[in-house]
Parts: sequence; structure tokens; C-alpha cells
Amino acid sequence: MSDPRAIQKKVCMLGGFSVGKTSLVKRFVTGQFSEKYHTTIGVKIDQKSLCVDATEMLLVLWDVYGEDDFQKVRASYLQGSAGYLLVIDGTREDTLEVAHQLRALAIQSMGPVPYALVINKSDLREAWQVDPEMYKDLASNACLVLETSAKTGEGVELAFAELAKQLLNG
Amino acid sequence: MASPSRPPLDPSRLSVKETKGFSHLRQLLLAPEQSELERLKNRLDHYILEPSDVGRVLPDAIRLRAQQDSRLLSSMIPITQEALSLSIKQSPQLISDSIAPILGPAIRKAITRAMRGMVQSLNQTLEYSMSWKGLQWRWEAFRTGKSFAEVVLLHTLRFRVEQVFLIHKKTGILLNHVVADGISGQGEEVISGMLTAIQDFVRDSFGQKQDDSLESLRIGDLTVWIEQGSGAILAGVIRGAPPTELREVFQETLETIHAQFSELLQTFKGDVTSFEETCLPLEDCLQAQFEKKSKGLPFFFWVLIGLLLLGLGVWAVQARSNQQQWTQLLERISQEPGLVVTSVEEQGSESIFYGLRDPLARNPEQILLEAGYSPKQAVFRLKPFMDLTPEFVQRRAHRVLQPPNSADLRWETTHLSVVGHAPRAWITKANLLGPLLPGLMSFDTNGMAGTEDMERFDTLRARLEKLSVNFLVGGSALTVGEKTIISKISEAFESLDKQALLLGLNPQVQVLGFTDSRGTRDANLELSTARAENVVDALPINSFRALKIEAIGKGVSISAEIGGLPIGGRRAVIRVVRPQGNLLESPK
Repeated sequence: MSDPRAIQKKVCMLGGFSVGKTSLVKRFVTGQFSEKYHTTIGVKIDQKSLCVDATEMLLVLWDVYGEDDFQKVRASYLQGSAGYLLVIDGTREDTLEVAHQLRALAIQSMGPVPYALVINKSDLREAWQVDPEMYKDLASNACLVLETSAKTGEGVELAFAELAKQLLNG
Repeated sequence: MASPSRPPLDPSRLSVKETKGFSHLRQLLLAPEQSELERLKNRLDHYILEPSDVGRVLPDAIRLRAQQDSRLLSSMIPITQEALSLSIKQSPQLISDSIAPILGPAIRKAITRAMRGMVQSLNQTLEYSMSWKGLQWRWEAFRTGKSFAEVVLLHTLRFRVEQVFLIHKKTGILLNHVVADGISGQGEEVISGMLTAIQDFVRDSFGQKQDDSLESLRIGDLTVWIEQGSGAILAGVIRGAPPTELREVFQETLETIHAQFSELLQTFKGDVTSFEETCLPLEDCLQAQFEKKSKGLPFFFWVLIGLLLLGLGVWAVQARSNQQQWTQLLERISQEPGLVVTSVEEQGSESIFYGLRDPLARNPEQILLEAGYSPKQAVFRLKPFMDLTPEFVQRRAHRVLQPPNSADLRWETTHLSVVGHAPRAWITKANLLGPLLPGLMSFDTNGMAGTEDMERFDTLRARLEKLSVNFLVGGSALTVGEKTIISKISEAFESLDKQALLLGLNPQVQVLGFTDSRGTRDANLELSTARAENVVDALPINSFRALKIEAIGKGVSISAEIGGLPIGGRRAVIRVVRPQGNLLESPK
């Protein structure tokens, strides 16, 4: 077994306010730090080791506080990321617009790195306000498009694992 | 006329002769090309990849493929691992020799560091284990359940770098992390990210420029010092108050790492294994400093010093006393008659005395014993000699002459006289040996009498003292009957006189007159005197040359005895008083 810390990748969680980024991370890892970091310095970092194609790797997840009217995402937090998860709340159309803005910021800060487009809250599918047509622009450049539910766990592991695979092979 | 056009030559339709000719012609025209074509055809038909061909292109091929993606690398990992494993099994010495130059210094350095830490910790523990403060800390350790070393560390620590993070600046990914002994890291990767985020946050919030950065964080007695490099950040977690020099150590370490890993830092894509070699420079940052004890030496040290001084004092007093005793002993031995100490040598615990000893002197070992020393403490190498001091001359005389109790040795500086009486044989021997005694200028036995002659004198004296003359009541004249007694007395006097002459004596002989109780005292005294005088007058006293005779009236006799006879009544008795001369003086 190779050292799980031999390969490490910084991955940012990007998305509008309350789209479920933190919940997705909580589904994926057992966090060590308090959630209050979000509201203090605007980011909370967790890690998760994965095995991708027989290669152990460590994902360092930067759960960046969601952009809203009161707080802007700090571009400096995005620098050096190997990839990111762009999260949309399926039940809120306005999160699409934020996602577009964040993608632009990501390109500016990180360059053309792989990203997974995640439409969260699939457990509330009947209440969804977005459809594939609405986010086709975002999906066209994403390495992966997945519908997830942080509540049920649907697609969560897969989203991270597939992005990790892309990061490893890319 | 134009010749009809000929169909193309078909070799298969040629006769044997034509075929031969055709081949010959072809060979003449195309021989070099044909052989080259045949060689190429043959090579293609039997193509075998030559190692030399592969060797030419292999390095470039590997490089180009590795640039393309990491598939080649992935493919090579299991083969390389297997090859390495096999190689180690088959020739471990080869691998050992190859890695020894790398591992040797690294191991030495690691051991040195570990030993240094251990010795420092041990020193700390030992230094305080004997102090009053140390006892308090022991109580604290007992109370809090911490180890004593831990409590000592907490109280004496000036600063200690507990953890060092090497963080990739751009990604915030932890490249390497080292911790001090006894410190356990936890979630270093996340801490690394958070440190980066905090820096970004602070810079974004308060910094004026991109180059501005957070340099230190502080919470409680923990300080985090952050050094910025172009590609990496070094963060040291320090307990206590670090000196500014430590900052320079951090900077130098970071510069060293940048110098060595510059390219890797620039092209970093998440593979941190390349940075494992940064362990050594990072571990150099794990420094610590402990408080020197400034308030003097430990309590127990003073107690120890006190005890030592006390012991030293006791020892000094004891030594002085011993020295005094020894000096006194030396003095005593030196002053001992018959002993002459010329030198004393100390050999270990033994003293060797050199000198002279008269055989008649005391045994010096006896003196040693009397002074409370063991005979093993001294060796006497004394040569015999003859002490001519009066004391030793006398001792020697006694030893040589061995005088009987009746003889007395009398000294006048270097002259020895022997007085008294002794057997004639002894006197003869003494007359031979005496003059030869060393230290004597003269010797005589003139005052000596032979014991046999003395016995004869005593016998005669006893016989004389048994004789008495009786008188009539109130009368002092000698009766006829008593004149016979006077005759015997006269003979006895004569014999005694002769013997006294022989012995050189002048004994005093008293003729004592007595009365009975009748009459007055004066009359009796007068009568007794007359009785004594009459007896003396009856003796031929002028013929006696040695005896000194006197008549004494004693009055009324008392109940006494002279010569075993009762004296008293009307009579006269004879008593030989102490002889004049040396011989009959009481012997020793």
C-alpha cells in the first residue's frame, strides 16, 4: 500500500450561499475543525484520503464560504487548487448565477483546472427549479456532472472520487 | 518502314535460354541495386529488433513518454519494485554499499540529535532532581499525574520548537512536517491548509501588498512563526519565548530548501514524496533552550557541600590529631633511652625508622603498641650500638654483674662501688667483670663482705647477746660465780672483734645494766649504771680493736627481750648495736 499522503491535491468547494457545500463535505469526511471558521475567515479545511486506480491520495478540501451579499469569496483561497466542485442548489435558480460568477473567478484564480458540477439536494427533486438546459454552459466544460444529495448521500462519494480520478490522471 | 511495336517482355514466356540471358542481362545492369533490394527484403521478411536500435532511441522515448503523462511511470513502478526486491535478496551487500553513503550521515545525524535530546532531558531531570525546587516539582508531578521530566520541562523551558511545517505556498499543501520528541502531530495537512488560509485572510483583510504576509501567531505560550519563501512557507510552532536568532535559523532553512528544491516547488502537482529529503534541514529547526539555574546551586547541593565540609573538618581535626599523636610518638621514640632515630621514611601507610638501638633499650614496637598504633604501621631498621649514658652503663652493670639483693651498686659519675655482702664467688667474679664494663672508669668491691663471713659475725653476735651477768640485790659488784660468765663474755667479745675486723666493721656493743623494781628511780639508775660499768671494767676492752664498747645503766628493767632472753632484774646484758661501716647497712 502506498503512502496515502504521498499525493495531495487541493480541492475547493465553490457555490452560492446555502447550496450544501459544507453538508457535502460533512458527508464525505469527518471534520476536525469547527464550522465557525466559515464565518470568521471564510474557509474551513478538511482532508480525505482516497484510493484511485490503486493509488492512494489525499484530498485537501477547502470549503469556501458561499458567496452572498454579505461576504465575497476570497480569490486567494482558490489559488493553487488542482480542481474544484461547483455546487448548485437544484431548488434555487439564483444559485446558477452565483455558480457562473464563481466559475469565472475560479478560471481567473486557478486557471483551466478540472471541476465537477454538482447539482445538490436531489432528495428534493420535485422542488427543483433548475433543469439541464439551464446549466448546460457550466456542464459543457465540467469533467463531471452529478446530481447529489448531502442528506441521503446520493452521488457524494462518486462526485469526489471521480474528480479525484480526473485530478490524478489529468 | 516503321517496325511493328513489340509487346512487353514477359519473363514467364521466355525459353530457358532466353531466361538465362535475361537474368544475365539484369545482373549486368542492376547488380548493386538488386543485391541491396534483396538485403532489404530479407531484413523485412526476417525483421528482428536489434538492441542497439532500441538503445539509441530508448532514453528519448522514455523522456517524451514521461512528459506526456504518468502512465509510463505507473507501469514501471511494479517492475522497479520487483527488481529492487529481487536485487536486495540476491545481493544485499550491493544495495547496502550503494545506500550507505546516504544513510550513514543521515543515521549519524539522527542518532546525534536523539542523543543530544536525551542527554539534555537527562541533564535537566538530574539537575533538578536534587534541588528543593525539584522536590516541589516531584510533588506537582505526583499531584497532576504528569511525569517528573515533563514537569521539569514545563518549568524550565525557555523555548522549544515543537513542530515545523513546510507548506507549498501556492496550494497550501503540506510538503513535510517534523515534530520534536514527545510531541504528536494531528491533522497536519489540514493545519497546513488553515495556516495558509489564515495568512490569505489576514493579507486580504489588512495587507497592503501581495508580498505582505503574516509572520507570527500567538496563543498562550505557543507562538507560530511563519517564514515566507517564493515557493514554500516554513511555519514553526514554538512553546515559550523564542529568541530572534531562531528566526534566522528558519530563514536559512527555508533558503536551503528553496535552493535544493526550487524546480520541484515550481512544478509541484501534489506529489509530496519528492520533499522527504527536507526532513534533515527541517529537523535542524527543532531547537530548544532551557533556563539555566540562576539562583545558585541546589539546596541539597549546599547540604552536600556542608556535609562534605563537615566531613573534611572532622577529617582535618582527626588528621591533625593523628599527626600530633604521630609526632608525639616520634618524639617519644627519639627520646627513648638507648634509641637513636636518624631518619623516618613514609612508604604508603608504613613508616620506616632508621637508626640505632642499644640491646638494653626498650623494644620500639612496644612503644608503638602503647601509643595505640599497630606494629604494621612502622618498620624499625635499627642497628645495634652501645649507649654510654650513665643509665645504660648502670643497666649494663646490673645485667652483667647481676648483684644479689644484699649488694648495692653505688655510682659516682664513672666510678662504681659495690657495697653490701655477697658470696665470695660473686665478689671474685664481680672483681673480674666490673673493670671491663664499658663506660666505667673505675670499679671496686671494697664495701663488700662475703656472705659466709657475715653469717659468722651474726652467729657470734647472737652467742654474745645470750650471755648475761647477774647481781645480788642492791649490789653492783661481780660475784665470784659470775666471773666465770665474764670470762665467757670476754671470749665472745674477742671472737666478735676478730670477725668485725675481718669484715672491716666497727660495731657498737652496749653493756646494759638493770635493776629490780625496788628502790627509787634515781637509785636504780645509778645502780644499773654501776653494774654495767663493772662488767665493762672486767673485760679487756683495750684489746678489742674493732668493737666500741659502752656501759649504759637502764634502771628498772622493762619487759623486753634482747637476744631472745628476758632482760630485767638484777643483771647486765650485752647488745650489739648497728655495726659501724657499710657492710651491715640494710641491703636493698
